[in-house]
Amino acid sequence: MAAVIGWRKKDFWWQSPVVFLEDPAAAHRLVWDPFTVYSPVKFLLEWQASCAAKVGIFVKGCDSRGINRLLQDKRLERERVVVYGVPCGGKADAEKIRASFPAKGIKDVTLLGEQLVLTVGDREVRVAAEAYLLDKCLTCRHPNPVVYDKLLWEEVLPRQRADESRFARVQAVASLATEERFFYWQRQFERCIRCFACRNTCPACNCRVCIFDQAEPRWLGKANDPADTLNYHIIRAFHVAGRCFECGECERICPAGVPLQELNRKLIKDINEAYGDYEAGLDATDQPPLGTYRGEDPAGFDES
Amino acid sequence: MPVVNERFEPLIVAFCCNWCSYAGADLAGISRMSYASNVRIIRVPCSSRVNPGFIIRAFQRGADGVLVAGCHPGDCHYHSGNFFTRRRLTVLKQMIEYLGIEPQRFQVRWISGSEGAKFAMVMNSVAEEIRLLGPNRKLRDVR
Repeated sequence: MAAVIGWRKKDFWWQSPVVFLEDPAAAHRLVWDPFTVYSPVKFLLEWQASCAAKVGIFVKGCDSRGINRLLQDKRLERERVVVYGVPCGGKADAEKIRASFPAKGIKDVTLLGEQLVLTVGDREVRVAAEAYLLDKCLTCRHPNPVVYDKLLWEEVLPRQRADESRFARVQAVASLATEERFFYWQRQFERCIRCFACRNTCPACNCRVCIFDQAEPRWLGKANDPADTLNYHIIRAFHVAGRCFECGECERICPAGVPLQELNRKLIKDINEAYGDYEAGLDATDQPPLGTYRGEDPAGFDES
Repeated sequence: MPVVNERFEPLIVAFCCNWCSYAGADLAGISRMSYASNVRIIRVPCSSRVNPGFIIRAFQRGADGVLVAGCHPGDCHYHSGNFFTRRRLTVLKQMIEYLGIEPQRFQVRWISGSEGAKFAMVMNSVAEEIRLLGPNRKLRDVR
């Protein structure tokens, strides 16, 4: 193994970015804390494209489904990766913590079971973790890795809230009238700066050449046109339809706060209702719903 | 003298599969049936050739409505293309509706090579529906 991909601690308490470690003596730099939320999976593509050696990777439940995603899309050579599964109790949202505690006083944040232990100044504060977890972690259905070579510790229980709140936001938007819905989405998309962070972090967005980067044919104008932004969001969501495994990184990483999960989950909900329940990223050998068909499929249009 | 046009004439882009719907259009033509002149036909090898991006792009570049027409399920000349179309475009249609765009603007119909009359009827009814909706402003480029 030439390297491991994990997380390290950076300067501030809320920063635990992904790190490549090539030196075993530096292994003590690896951390597992409430902010190791970044998905390391996409880095495997660059690693495998540039280096023939094996690589180790630490994955949470959501990240492990990204591994299955890449395997199913035939973008990853499984035998060249050693997967360390890390059962995950959820990751903390630094914004929620900052809203309740003076940010400058916080020295350290640790997750102990269902409790979040904060060192604020020189005192220790214990709070119920659930109020400070990321929204995407509260609706997480698979906190335990689904594919791994070695599991680091015992599996954890999925949250009760996950199932009931999965499509709540989608239903709320869908219940609006057509015009209201349009203005709701215009308000969301007008903040989009088209930085493509949602695409870059998404393990389902793993095309060798992304159509949004192509010069010819050019699918997306360079100007800040609302129709182009809408086009981008429709196509991005559609390209991951039936393949999105709801890790929620796109929405979390979005600097403009575009609720991308409401789009992804809308597609998941429709596909489940029309073509049977399907969860992407659980099995690398099955067939995504838009890549297959049945003769008796229902249609959402007039078939006469 | 300026031309006063009191009636809105929509622009409709119809993606027609080469083997059924395009033949249906041909039959409508050689049978001398008249249908709405708002329709611009783009011939594609199969309805599953229609990338959802084409549909969005057509709206961006000024279409008021988009129609995708293919062979009836089971009649695809490439064996199964339109089964994939059915799943894909069902999902796309629901998503466009979810984003607040009138669902009638995007339609999918199955029209076989022998259904010239149906082709003319579908084109007329789609043109009428979209005429009532008015111009597409939501998905159109501002440029």
